[in-house]
Amino acid sequence: LQVFDDVGKDVTPRPLFRSDPNNVVPRQGKLLASSAYFGARGSGFLSSFSMHQTSGVNASLGSFSRSRLLTSYNFSDVQVRQQEIKEELTKADLDRRVDIYLTETETIWILDMPSVVVSVESEDAGRVLERNRIYVDICKNRPGNDRFVEKMMQTVNGAAKNKEVQCDKIIMEDKGMMVTSWDLYDSFNVSEIEPTSKAEGSRATTGKCSKSHTTKELDQTMSVSSDRGSTTSIMISESAILARNHKEEECHSEAILTSENFQQDLFFMERILMENIFQPKLAAYRQFPVLIDPDVTSDTSGTVAAVKAKQEEHNKEKKDKEEQKDAFIDPSTLSVLNKTPEEIVPPRLERLWSYVCDLTNGHSVSSMAWSKVNPDLLAVGYGAFDFKEQKKGLACCWSLKNPMWPERIFQCEHAVTALDFSMASPNLLAVGMYNGCVAIYNVRSCNDAALLDSSESSNKHTGPVWQLRWVEQDRDATEDGKKERLICISADGRITEWLIQKRLDCTDLMKIKRTESEKKKLPGEKERKSEALISQQAPGMCFDFHPKDTNFYLAGTEEGHIHQCSCSCNEQFLETYRGHKGPVYKVAWNPFSTDMFLSCSADWSIILWHRDSQTPILSFSSTTACVHDIMWSPKSAFIFAAANESRVEIWDLSVSTLNPVISCFASPRVKFTSVLFAENTDCLLVGDSQGEVSVFELQNLAAPNSNTV
Amino acid sequence: AEVEETLKRIQAHKGVIATIVINAEGIPIRTTLDNSTTVQYAGLLHQLTMKARSTVRDIDPQNDLTFLRIRSKKHEIMVAPDKEYLLIVIQNPCE
Repeated sequence: LQVFDDVGKDVTPRPLFRSDPNNVVPRQGKLLASSAYFGARGSGFLSSFSMHQTSGVNASLGSFSRSRLLTSYNFSDVQVRQQEIKEELTKADLDRRVDIYLTETETIWILDMPSVVVSVESEDAGRVLERNRIYVDICKNRPGNDRFVEKMMQTVNGAAKNKEVQCDKIIMEDKGMMVTSWDLYDSFNVSEIEPTSKAEGSRATTGKCSKSHTTKELDQTMSVSSDRGSTTSIMISESAILARNHKEEECHSEAILTSENFQQDLFFMERILMENIFQPKLAAYRQFPVLIDPDVTSDTSGTVAAVKAKQEEHNKEKKDKEEQKDAFIDPSTLSVLNKTPEEIVPPRLERLWSYVCDLTNGHSVSSMAWSKVNPDLLAVGYGAFDFKEQKKGLACCWSLKNPMWPERIFQCEHAVTALDFSMASPNLLAVGMYNGCVAIYNVRSCNDAALLDSSESSNKHTGPVWQLRWVEQDRDATEDGKKERLICISADGRITEWLIQKRLDCTDLMKIKRTESEKKKLPGEKERKSEALISQQAPGMCFDFHPKDTNFYLAGTEEGHIHQCSCSCNEQFLETYRGHKGPVYKVAWNPFSTDMFLSCSADWSIILWHRDSQTPILSFSSTTACVHDIMWSPKSAFIFAAANESRVEIWDLSVSTLNPVISCFASPRVKFTSVLFAENTDCLLVGDSQGEVSVFELQNLAAPNSNTV
Repeated sequence: AEVEETLKRIQAHKGVIATIVINAEGIPIRTTLDNSTTVQYAGLLHQLTMKARSTVRDIDPQNDLTFLRIRSKKHEIMVAPDKEYLLIVIQNPCE
């Protein structure tokens, strides 16, 4: 037999002995024993075993003798089987069917204890009984018989000797572990290669150790000392930790501080802090009953003072209101949260909080818009209206969860004058700027850069974009689904629709031509000679699409006219409404009774129109200040809000058409510039020229009983 | 950068008494308190966080602790635990 390894070297194990043919003496008895050993291995391998493999398998002398005997026995066989031995075992041999013959060997007696019990029916029974009887007789004769003598002997006692042995001290250690189910889970999941690593843990289920977190520190080698569950050892282990290399720590701490998890945790922490601070206000926003912490003892004076301050603020407003239908409420009976039903409490605005931060201080709020998808996300554009005060603009997205720092800050080159969220892709925010540029930002990314910018477009506006909106347009019946378009109006007199492709490009919807006013001719405008006009177009200030039929829209101009136009016809206006004497800053259709709309202008008045009549229906003016912004309430057909320069007014047409129902004054240097109603709650957002967006809760407004005028 | 800003804003909030960041071994990396108090807070909150995490995971090993808030009479302690660090903010929510 020859064995080759992979390389081809001959690694046949050499036999440890040479069989001596002189010693061939077949001894049958012992042979059988050895054959019993090898019998099960198969006859084909017997010879090979005898020659080579036994040297590897059995290294003892005993087996040597056995193998020798086997050799001697098989010597004759060896001759016969010589061919078989010489056959090389190939791989195919492994698959070959090998016949194994099992023979039963002779019984091997290992222990033989013959029984002492003899059957009565056996042949020897008589003899045994006889012997038993004789024995009993002898026992009876024993006591007085001479033949039995008791005698004592002394044996030699050897001298006792002490021998001492010394061995190493066996160090005993106690180790206890607390086993928790997550521990097992972790280990099975993480180290599936070593499933026995937790065997030691499962043994100690008595829970001797009190610090379960040591199992987590298995990778640190200090776990042994900290297993003793006493507080002193905890201190020791901690000092041991502190004594480790400090160099490692520095790298680690940097890594920790810049890790993503850390940033996220900071983010959440800030939110939670905000929640703590603003919880009562936010609850009021959501119209939950506000809870007062009963445990707060040291600060009750503080809260009471706050309550008093609010009362004073309200009182000041009330004193300034000259026109008042309801009784003047004594300030001492005003309690902020509990209103007794007997008093008639006038509706008022309660200031909840304001979105302001260092960045926005000093910028004037120009426009605000809610996100279409998330009613708690607010986008605010900052930029001055006047030409003189131009600085860099800002657009911020604020979340309800953090009123002290905006979620997204987009810096813009020019003042932001208008913005709107898209409905179809709610992460897009379109921003219109003072230089006529329109930019689209992706709110999802924190990136400051605009997604798309219209500065390269050839058709871009040359005047400030005063308003822009995403409008869902119902196309013809052939095209299903609503398409959304971005429409802007700007001071260069064009209403444009922007297409979002690779670059922002626009097409004109309408050019606003100057129209003659019937009453008087404005000096400086040479209208008689139409060619000598500086520009044929009147700057547009605002627009609003009809809520039901998006083909029609209104456009307000700087001349004071309001034009009703249609998307299908871009040459001519359908109607013109004249009534304002100054630039129209805002027009708004009534969301409920859709034939009425409202417009506000710099001529200190707000006018309510009906779409079919050319003359105003109602006109509201309360102060000598230009009205910057108006908005209908989304809840009632009669209520709208207006931002004058110095105050915010809420008008309720069902209550009074002469006076605002609520009027809220601003601090002296601050002018209110924009208003926005909240969709999901009774709150009003007011932006002012200092960059603050204050959130006011409308309280006690009469509920609308009908929604049509 | 962003992290520094946010951390500064948190520290500057009204009512925030202290902000502590400790690493996995219990050593403070960033703190706005004096050293002895910081170390005390670090040690105690570390143990408490471990216990809380052990509790949560014992009930369901696939769950994990994300945030821990302890409201007391005087302050509120908020802990954001992680494998490598512990972020602790102590706030007095009422003033």
